[in-house]
Amino acid sequence: MKPQSYRLIRFLNNLAVYVVLIFFAFIMLFPFLYMLSTSFKLPADTFRYPPRMLPRDPVSVTVTGYKEPLPLYYIEVDGGQKEFALAKSNIKVGTFAPADDPSASVERYLSEVSPTGGAMDQKTVAVNGKEEKLYDVTVDGQVVPMILLSQTTVGEFIDPQNPEIKAYQNVRLSQPVENLSWHPENYNAVIELQGLDRALTNTALVTILVVLGQLLTSVLGGYAFARLKFPGRDTVFVFYLGTIMIPFVMLIVPLYQLMVAIGWTDRLASLIIPWIFTAYGTFLMRQHFITFPKEIEEAAVLDGASRLQILRDILIPASIPALATQATFTFLYAWNSFIWPLVVINVGNEKNHVLTLALNVLRGRASDTPNLILAGAAIAIIPPLIVFILGQRFFVESVASSGVKG
Amino acid sequence: MTDLLKVDSRTMLLLRLSTIWRWLFALLTIGGATALWTGGLPISALWQKILLTVVLVTAAIASGIAAVLIGRCDHRGRMISLVLDYLAFAACFVLTLNAGEVFIGIDALGGTFGHGVPYLGIVLLGYLLGTLEDYLPKKHTPEQSLKAVSRWVMVGGLVLFLWQVDAVQGLIYVIGKIARPAGLASVAGMLVFGLSLWAMWREPTATAMNVKTHHEQVLNGWLFLSPNLLGFLIFFAGPLLLSFYFSFTDSDAFNPPNWIGFANYAKILNIRLALLNSPTQLAREVIDVKIYDEVGRLVVGNFGILFAAADKFFWIALRNTLTFALLAVPMSVIPALVLSNVLNSKLPGMKFFRAVYFMPSIAAVVGISLVWQWLYNATIGYINYFITLGIEFWNNLFHIAIVDPKIQWVSDEKTALLAVIIIAAWQTMGFNTVLFLAGLQNVPGELYEAATVDGAGPWDKFWRITLPMLAPTTFYVVTTTTIQAMQVFEQVFILMNPPEGPNNSTITLVLYLYRSGFQNFKQGYASAIAWVLFIVIFGLTLIQFQRQRKSSIYES
Repeated sequence: MKPQSYRLIRFLNNLAVYVVLIFFAFIMLFPFLYMLSTSFKLPADTFRYPPRMLPRDPVSVTVTGYKEPLPLYYIEVDGGQKEFALAKSNIKVGTFAPADDPSASVERYLSEVSPTGGAMDQKTVAVNGKEEKLYDVTVDGQVVPMILLSQTTVGEFIDPQNPEIKAYQNVRLSQPVENLSWHPENYNAVIELQGLDRALTNTALVTILVVLGQLLTSVLGGYAFARLKFPGRDTVFVFYLGTIMIPFVMLIVPLYQLMVAIGWTDRLASLIIPWIFTAYGTFLMRQHFITFPKEIEEAAVLDGASRLQILRDILIPASIPALATQATFTFLYAWNSFIWPLVVINVGNEKNHVLTLALNVLRGRASDTPNLILAGAAIAIIPPLIVFILGQRFFVESVASSGVKG
Repeated sequence: MTDLLKVDSRTMLLLRLSTIWRWLFALLTIGGATALWTGGLPISALWQKILLTVVLVTAAIASGIAAVLIGRCDHRGRMISLVLDYLAFAACFVLTLNAGEVFIGIDALGGTFGHGVPYLGIVLLGYLLGTLEDYLPKKHTPEQSLKAVSRWVMVGGLVLFLWQVDAVQGLIYVIGKIARPAGLASVAGMLVFGLSLWAMWREPTATAMNVKTHHEQVLNGWLFLSPNLLGFLIFFAGPLLLSFYFSFTDSDAFNPPNWIGFANYAKILNIRLALLNSPTQLAREVIDVKIYDEVGRLVVGNFGILFAAADKFFWIALRNTLTFALLAVPMSVIPALVLSNVLNSKLPGMKFFRAVYFMPSIAAVVGISLVWQWLYNATIGYINYFITLGIEFWNNLFHIAIVDPKIQWVSDEKTALLAVIIIAAWQTMGFNTVLFLAGLQNVPGELYEAATVDGAGPWDKFWRITLPMLAPTTFYVVTTTTIQAMQVFEQVFILMNPPEGPNNSTITLVLYLYRSGFQNFKQGYASAIAWVLFIVIFGLTLIQFQRQRKSSIYES
């Protein structure tokens, strides 16, 4: 193979790799981008078809002689496109023609014609066996009775600089002048509507306490499993391992009854305390501690250090990446959990709602304003994304390594 | 046996007191157990009574044994004594917290926590300041001042945080609550058990009781494990047993449950197959419709089988869940396999793409489902818009006229489950990609080099090296994704309105469990569903495990 053609093949190969990767990256990112852009839109903009990504608003101008600002539209005037303001809409225009000659039609505003013979006693004429009403239409200064062929509605558009210049065009078919405009106030609106600020701080509180509590118990337990010899240790460890594959939904009924028995239903405590103790976290910590060289510890024991001192001063400082990983895992799990809060916290007790619950209620309450719903979704989704981006280095690597071991 | 003469008088006294205390403890626990059954304690539920009795009687027996052993200076007596006092101390501690309404008080903290969050930021800042020191090139005195500054910033932030969340008021409130009979009794209990713990734990007592270092390690081991193990027993293992018990009762969460044996399981598994004379024959002609409902029928030509069940929702849910898993798992795993192979090329930017693919799997399923709900919207949603664009492009390209289907994603029973499957596949794909990528990095490069020398093309290499070498990872990925898929709930619950979807097309096992247990409050029945679900998941995992073992035997 010639070097040039080899280089070309490699280039094409790499190009194909990037095309595939970018295609999938688009699929993965699109829902997030859609969520963000929609959360900054006005409701009318979200219901537009075809949909578009960036939020846009119609532009209005103040025109001398009008109190309210008038919306701008693109109007065809003298063969060119101009931005005109809509001064009056719903102007009815009729196409009129004499009963005996439909081709000689003229267009007139309905306000400019009057019923022939007066409104009370309008005259009619038979056309093709049908009775048609007659109107007095002025053509070249002469009043001619004509029938109404068809009728449309147009808007009156004026040049904002010179309101005397007017044009008429169907409003619905006209393209409004729009500019990019973001509406961060949607976030305030959804926070007000659903009390998302309280839900956010509740979620943060629950998550922080679960993360700290779980780290504490699993570090202690993991250390005992990895380093301390005591009868029954291996039995308990096998027992722990066996429960890892038991799905959580097995527990919702009995755990709910336990919460009823100790009076924790509807309380944030029910979202925190049961989650502090985990077999899986303890297992991960044990796997981590067991890789440490024993000699350092033995030396410390000889120097008279207690086990707690060894853990605090030697093992924990050296385990920050593992701890960070587990903290991130727990953070995501606690932040995103839904079925347990749904079971144990009352729908009506909004003071104790976490974000996922609040979103569930919001879904019904704001079903006609997707911009608000997706602003709420963004509030729930963005904090974990930030944590992920910060802890990405530890996190992705350790997911990878846990998978290989598993 | 230690020579008792070497033991100082104070320790002797403590040992005697401990023996008396152990006998007293035994009597107290026995008394408690009797009060339980004579109505002296306000506990009514049978399972709670039985559980408490077992705990108390065990404690009484253990305490008696310990008393005898302490008298003989046997170190096991010390051990039992320490364990009993420790557990009792822990129980009193929890009771004290409960009397102080600390657990309930977390709700109040939820109200003020928002004011304190910015000050937690200061604490974090202080911590980051401390870690900054590691990056400083100079290694003399200034670094120590930086550490000190960091510590002060953290303490200051914490104090401000506590001030902002009204910690002082909260503390006063808690103390006020504890200063009532129940709270004071718990505090007194803590003092007594604490004192007894100290008496046994202290060095001279340990020496007197012939304690060796490895005995200390045993105690340390259980002590370190205890917070985790106790919580695990109370909030995991205990409820699991309770769930098993409930599955044989008619529990409804409010009234005491009645034992009904296998009735729940019998109802779930009560099915009937019937031959049909014609594909359109009515169900009531072949089955007893008072008991059975038609779930579905299999028709081949002029011949048909009717499948009916006493609880048709369970079987529809099982069918939907299995369909979901059967489609969602390959739709997530196969693209992940492809992507990981593409990502494994050593080109720049791969870490970026890896992070991007990972993003969906960390976002809240509830939020994600809300986003997709609008993407799926039949008139203004992007998915139908892209389909329309694609069809227009196709029609223009080949001058044909494919009709735009304008799919009603979530309101059409044919596509509702598919809509959920797509979300789930989208969300788990990135996670699986990362797992495969890690597996690929363990495949030795020499294998590929050898294959290249032998003239193998990329396709051969993929089938003959990559796939077999990835078999353990694939097993792990498929198993975890399947277990997850069998528990699908949140996507369905948020996306569908009502959650069971048009014509029950998206009712899943967990959804049905939730509906039985928490909407109809048939919690016994819901527990039985949970155990059947567990057996299904366990069975699927076992099948995969068998296949994995067989294929690895074949390879070796």
